Amino acid sequence: MLELRRLTKYFGGVRAVDGVDLTVAEGEILGLIGPNGSGKSTIINLICGLFPLTDGEVVFRGTDISTLPPHERVALGIARTFQNIRLFGQLTVWQNLWVAQKARGQGRGFLRGWLGGSRHDRVAIDKTLDFFDLGHKRDELAGNLAFGEQRRLEFARAFAAKPSLLLLDEPAAGMNAEEIDQLDARIRQLRREGVTIVLIEHHVELVMSVTDRIAVLNFGQKIAEGTPAEIQTNPLVREAYLGTQTAA
Amino acid sequence: MIDFLQNTIDGVMTGASYALLALGFTLIFGVMRRLNLSYGPSIMVGAYLGTLAHLHLAAGPLGVAAVTVAGAVLAGLYVERLCFAPMAAGAGIAAMVSSFAIWMQLEQAAILVLPRHTYPFPPLASATAWLGPFLLRLDQLIMLASALVLALGVQALLYGTRFGLALRAIIGNPTAAHLVGIDVRRATVLAFALASAVGGVAGFLVLASDAQVTPMFGMWATMKGLIAMMIGGLGSIPGALVGGLLLGVVEAQSQWYLGPQLRDLAAYVLLFACLVWRPGGLFGAAPVRDLARGRSL
Repeated sequence: MLELRRLTKYFGGVRAVDGVDLTVAEGEILGLIGPNGSGKSTIINLICGLFPLTDGEVVFRGTDISTLPPHERVALGIARTFQNIRLFGQLTVWQNLWVAQKARGQGRGFLRGWLGGSRHDRVAIDKTLDFFDLGHKRDELAGNLAFGEQRRLEFARAFAAKPSLLLLDEPAAGMNAEEIDQLDARIRQLRREGVTIVLIEHHVELVMSVTDRIAVLNFGQKIAEGTPAEIQTNPLVREAYLGTQTAA
Repeated sequence: MIDFLQNTIDGVMTGASYALLALGFTLIFGVMRRLNLSYGPSIMVGAYLGTLAHLHLAAGPLGVAAVTVAGAVLAGLYVERLCFAPMAAGAGIAAMVSSFAIWMQLEQAAILVLPRHTYPFPPLASATAWLGPFLLRLDQLIMLASALVLALGVQALLYGTRFGLALRAIIGNPTAAHLVGIDVRRATVLAFALASAVGGVAGFLVLASDAQVTPMFGMWATMKGLIAMMIGGLGSIPGALVGGLLLGVVEAQSQWYLGPQLRDLAAYVLLFACLVWRPGGLFGAAPVRDLARGRSL
C-alpha cells in the first residue's frame, strides 16, 4: 500500500532520514521505533508532505506522491496525528472533526464541501465521537479539554478524514495504563475496519502487543525489521534501543 | 440637543460605510494576519470600472454595483497574487510593504489612464425624509442596512459553515490545517475575494452617495477602514461594525462642534486613546503587538 524508496531528508548537514526503504502492506499495523532523534517523526512528516524530500520517493497505492501538497495526500486517504498535539483550540470538539471530515461520495462541490455537509456526515461525526468516548464533550472548546481527551480528539480528527492509511505519532505519550489499554483496543478495532496503521511509539508494551511488524531506526537508517518477537531478540536492536532505553 | 442627535444620525450613516470597509479589512487581517494597504486602491479600481460602465455602456445603478464589486474582486486577487501569495509565513512586514507598492502602482495608474481624475458616479437614491426634526437620506439608510446585513452574513459564514471553520482553523494553526486536509491556498484566495467583494459594496455605496470618484478614494478607503478596524479590534466582526459606527459619530460631532479642520484630528485622538487603553481594540482578543509577532488568537 505504501512504499518508501531510499527516503532521504537532510536538515542542513544533519541526515535526519538516510536512505530508508520501507513497505507497508494493506491492512497491517507497522510499528516504527528507535531512540529519540532517529528519524521516526521525520518519516511521518515526509509521508504526509510537511516538507520536501531531499531524495527518494513516497509511493502510495502505486503512484508517486512525493511532490503532492499535504491536503491532496489527505484526500487520497492518508491522515495523521501529532506527537505535540495540534488541535484547533478555538473550535469545539465537534467542529474539529467537521473541518477535517471527508464528505461522503467525495462531494467536492462548493455547497457540500464548504457550506455544510449532509445529515449522513453529521451522524458520522457523532458516531466517531462516541467511538473515541468524546460524545459528552462535543460542544466544548478543544482548547479546554484535559490532556488525555485532547489526545483522543487528535486521533478522532484523523479518523474523521476516513483514511485508509493512518499515521499515529506517539499516541500514548503522557497516557496512564488504563488509557493505553483503551488506545490498544481502538487501534485493533480500526484495523478490523480495514485501516492500515503506522505507529510510532516509545511505549514498548503497546508496540509489542498491537503491531504485526516492526521497523527499527537509528541515526536515520533502518537497522532492523521483523515481527515483534524477532525484534525483541535482535542483538542490534537491543544494543541501539531496547538495551539502553528500557532497562525495565 | 437636536443638533447633537442629528449629528449622531449622520455619524452613524457615515460610520456604516467605515464599518463596511473595516469588515473587509478585518476579514483579510483575521485570516492571514496580513495588513493589506492596497485594500482601498483595489476598491478604487473597481469604482473606476463601474463609472466607465456608467459613462460608456449606460449601466444602471445595479449594473454599476456589479461591475464595481467584480472589479474590486479582480484587483484584490491581483494584489493577493503579487503581495501575499509569494510571501512565506512570518514575512508579514514584507507583504505589507509590497502592498504599499501596489497601492502606489494602482493610484498612479488611475491618475495616468484617467486624466480627468474626477469622474461622476451614478447616485443610487437621492430621496430624503424627515423623521420628526431629523433629516434622513435614503442612500445612507441603504448603507446602514447593507453594513448590518453583511456583518451578520460574514459572522454567520465564519461561525456556521465549514468554510468559516476552515478559515478559523487556518488562523489557529495553519500547518495543522493543511495537514488535516484543508486546502489552505484556496481558502485564503476565497477569503480575499470575499473581503474584496465586501469592500466593493462599500465603495459603490460611498461613491453613489458622493456622486463622484477620484484617485484619492483608494487612500481614503484604506485609512478609514484601517482606523475603524483598529478601534474595533483586529479580526473581530462586531468590532468592525462598532468601530466604524463609533468613528463616524466622533467625526460628525467633532466636525459640528470643533470644525472640519479638527475632524480628522479627533479621529486620530480616538484611535490613540483606544490603542493606549485597549491595545487590542474594543472587541479584540489579543493586543496588536502579539498579533504582529504571529501569535494566534
